[in-house]
Amino acid sequence: MNRFAALSRTTMFGLMTGASLLAASAAMAEEITVWCWDPNFNGATMKEAAARYTAMHPDVTFNIVDFAKADMEQKLQAQLTSGTTEGLPDIVLVEDYGAQKYLQSFPGAFEPLTDKVDYSGFAPYKVELATLDGQTYSLPFDSGVTGLFYRTDILAEAGYKAEDLQDITWEQFIEIAKVVKEKTGHPMLGIDLNDAGAIRILLQSAGSWYFNADGTANLAGNPVFKASLETYAKLLQTPEIYKPVSGWADYTGGFTSGEVASVFTGVWMTGTIKAANMSGQWGVAPLPKLSGVEGATHASNLGGSSWYVLASSEEKATAVDFLAEVWGKDADFYQKILVDNGAVGSLLAARDGDAYKASDEYFGGQAVWQNFSDWLGAIPPVNYGLFTNEVDAAVAAQLPGLAAGGSVDDAIAAIDAQVQQQIQ
Amino acid sequence: MMNQALPLIRRTLVYGALSLAAFLSVFPFLWMVIGATNLSADITKGRVMPGSALWTNIQNFAAQVDLPLVLWNSTWVAVVGTALTLLVSSMAGYAFEMFQSKFRERLFGSLLLMLSIPFAALMIPLFVMMSKAGLMNSYTAIIAPGVASIFIIFYFRQATKAFPGELRDAARIDGLKEWQIFWYIYMPVMRPTYAAATIIVFMANWNAYLWPLIVLQTNDMKTITLVVSSLASAYVPDFGVVMVGAIVATLPVVIVFFVLQRRFVEGLLGSVK
Amino acid sequence: MGKFRLGRSENVYAWLFLAPALTLLAIFMVYPILWSLWMSFQTGKGVNTQFGGLANIYRLTQDPVFLRALTNTLIFLIIQVPIMIVLAILAAVALNDPKLRGRAFFRTAIFLPCVTSLVAYSVLFKSMFATDGVVNDTLMWLHIISSPIPWLAQPFWAKCLIIIAITWRWTGYNMIFFLAALQNIDRSIYEAARIDGVPAWARFVYLTVPMLKPVILFTTVISTIGTLQLFDEVNNITASGGVGGAPADSTLTLSLYIYNLTFRFMPSLGYAATVSYVIVVLVALLTALQFFVARERK
Repeated sequence: MNRFAALSRTTMFGLMTGASLLAASAAMAEEITVWCWDPNFNGATMKEAAARYTAMHPDVTFNIVDFAKADMEQKLQAQLTSGTTEGLPDIVLVEDYGAQKYLQSFPGAFEPLTDKVDYSGFAPYKVELATLDGQTYSLPFDSGVTGLFYRTDILAEAGYKAEDLQDITWEQFIEIAKVVKEKTGHPMLGIDLNDAGAIRILLQSAGSWYFNADGTANLAGNPVFKASLETYAKLLQTPEIYKPVSGWADYTGGFTSGEVASVFTGVWMTGTIKAANMSGQWGVAPLPKLSGVEGATHASNLGGSSWYVLASSEEKATAVDFLAEVWGKDADFYQKILVDNGAVGSLLAARDGDAYKASDEYFGGQAVWQNFSDWLGAIPPVNYGLFTNEVDAAVAAQLPGLAAGGSVDDAIAAIDAQVQQQIQ
Repeated sequence: MMNQALPLIRRTLVYGALSLAAFLSVFPFLWMVIGATNLSADITKGRVMPGSALWTNIQNFAAQVDLPLVLWNSTWVAVVGTALTLLVSSMAGYAFEMFQSKFRERLFGSLLLMLSIPFAALMIPLFVMMSKAGLMNSYTAIIAPGVASIFIIFYFRQATKAFPGELRDAARIDGLKEWQIFWYIYMPVMRPTYAAATIIVFMANWNAYLWPLIVLQTNDMKTITLVVSSLASAYVPDFGVVMVGAIVATLPVVIVFFVLQRRFVEGLLGSVK
Repeated sequence: MGKFRLGRSENVYAWLFLAPALTLLAIFMVYPILWSLWMSFQTGKGVNTQFGGLANIYRLTQDPVFLRALTNTLIFLIIQVPIMIVLAILAAVALNDPKLRGRAFFRTAIFLPCVTSLVAYSVLFKSMFATDGVVNDTLMWLHIISSPIPWLAQPFWAKCLIIIAITWRWTGYNMIFFLAALQNIDRSIYEAARIDGVPAWARFVYLTVPMLKPVILFTTVISTIGTLQLFDEVNNITASGGVGGAPADSTLTLSLYIYNLTFRFMPSLGYAATVSYVIVVLVALLTALQFFVARERK
């Protein structure tokens, strides 16, 4: 069994592990284990970062383990809940919405990086969401900065140019969508009634969130929450402009198949859009704005994640140094992962690099990355709090009712009641 | 014999209904195979015609997955787990039926009740136990909790009801010890029942997901079920590759079923020929 | 009968045969069960828990999500289990005919669904039952419906979809139990009834069903437990954005809620344990009821 394991490991990690086996005899050898969830996205960027660090410190090797995202979260939560540190990795990727949940329910499980990393170089909202009691715990990774991806050819057929999508409100967006449907027959959006992501985008675009700073629910009586639900209800109650979809494959299939004319979502969707082989037919516009809401902007966020060091890690010092050296400073690294993996990091200095300035033929020569990084700096910081999943479930439970013409006030009351019960 | 028409209509109906049922059952398999020949984009569009991307998908799958290793891991877990489960659980089922007592009847009743507790509720304490025992990231941790399977104990107990008592009595007269009766008489006679249980347990072990996911820590220990699942939930899943993975994950169980199915049907209630 | 009268050495052998299984069960079942029983009296978030007495039981009564999950689970149970058991018996009876050609093929085909890998199964059902998927296209082509059924988007249809999916997956599995039981039935009884002119339906109702009663009981108990723990389908087929039980919690089950409380939401293990004991109580009641119904007609 042992011999087999050693053999298989060599075939699996090839040279990398070969190196580690050799190095095992040296006293300084260290292996950093990382958990992440997408081998083509965050896993690939982590491999690139690891290679850069290993080039500088040949005695440090990396073991990057990827899981399905839900699987990894379940594993991490099970481990932290059980109080067992054995088997935990050194570095783990955590989706930003879950950050405070982990930090607050498992005090002491994560290592604060406040003194090790210069946070002034990162997008402020990414720093804020990983800060608890004055300590910041994450090395901010990818941003979910939002934009409106749209089919330039379909919009042109309906008589719209890129300028017509600049600085518009959601009401204007709905009017445009109606015209698009009428003139071209294409639905403007694919909407999944089980997904509350759109509400999160709308809320944060005006600097509001499900919770107050003290962690209490900020739902009933929150004007931005009400405006967000009302706006989304308007959209849902205009059934001709969207295609109802269910689940991720159906959702992305809507626009990659060429049927759906636009999608508003996080920048990480770029890879999926580019995989559809419709070069020159896509453009990116700023997110439409909530009307009549104080503090409303065209910038928001959906998803995104950050790296955390486990306090139980034996190679803690090295893990922290690795994050600070590569992820915290190396602007050239960020150019590479942008080009190779479409990953928009949150290190602001990276924006000055060549890759960010390049125009993209897929998007008709638009400098899309530059646009996204400009919006990135403008995302209103909010505190995601501890119970985002719970509120999401409560909001999603009301969306079919809203689509069927239900009252927004009733929906808010129901959401609030359910959330108050769940977060006790 | 006098009325030929009625049975003919009935037969047609029976064949029609069975063919429909078989088609509905097999269709998803066909779809899986067709899916493996198509590119991801075509699969999400719901294309049901065979495509030409099979080789590409297989190559992509092979590039992402160390197949021999992953299959070896799954096979190890499934084969060792099944063998131990059959031995331990059949012994218990045998004993519950052959040596009945009031106390053991009560014990058996309480086992059935334990069967009803969802596994999610037991996972955290089990996890703590495994970690304290130093068994994290080991196949022992995956296999051990399932070896005494209440469901299989229950099943063997039912099947043992059909085991002829005369055989045991004769063996006793011949001076065989109880363990010899179990080993040399009961197990060979009950081969069909063991075949049936093999299918059920092998399938459960091969497809096990939640528990291995929690216990296994490194890529080189992962089973095929875990690998296919992580392929399917990337930001941009390649469904062509996922379908190849799904076929690879399904095929071994289908083969085991095929090999054992005749005995399986004879064996579920322990018919003794 | 002297059913329970055993010799001393037999008693010793009984415990020897039981020892491995009982030892393992004590370690891997009894201990975790006691632990979760103790947890069900604890309240708090994550690792910060304290004794809360009956607080979790009170929380159950106030929790709209729990009520939804309980209702959904019972709906699935009441509708799905009878449909599946009846279909499984019918298929088994049809396949038991020795003159039937291609028995091995039909048997294997109908058994196949429960072997399918969960990933393929859920990707497949999602795409087949999409608004413009194969199922709607076929139904419209046959003029059974005039507009596509929103299988995944509307609560009622989502429940139907789940019932279809679990019936598809487990009917063949249950059929095998009946098939095996039927092969043990003495054919001469059937022959005698046939010669006496008893029609086929009456042979089925008065001969087959009573003789299958122990197996019906067995499969019903196992299926009841299985449905009360229903998780795979609702966490994969009617899931979106990684959240199961959609749309609007219409397919949320007790098991999925327990999973959410443990792994997705702020972990509240005590409350999750309390919800799992609801399942235990339900199984105890329903199993007792099923044994009672089966016994009464004897």
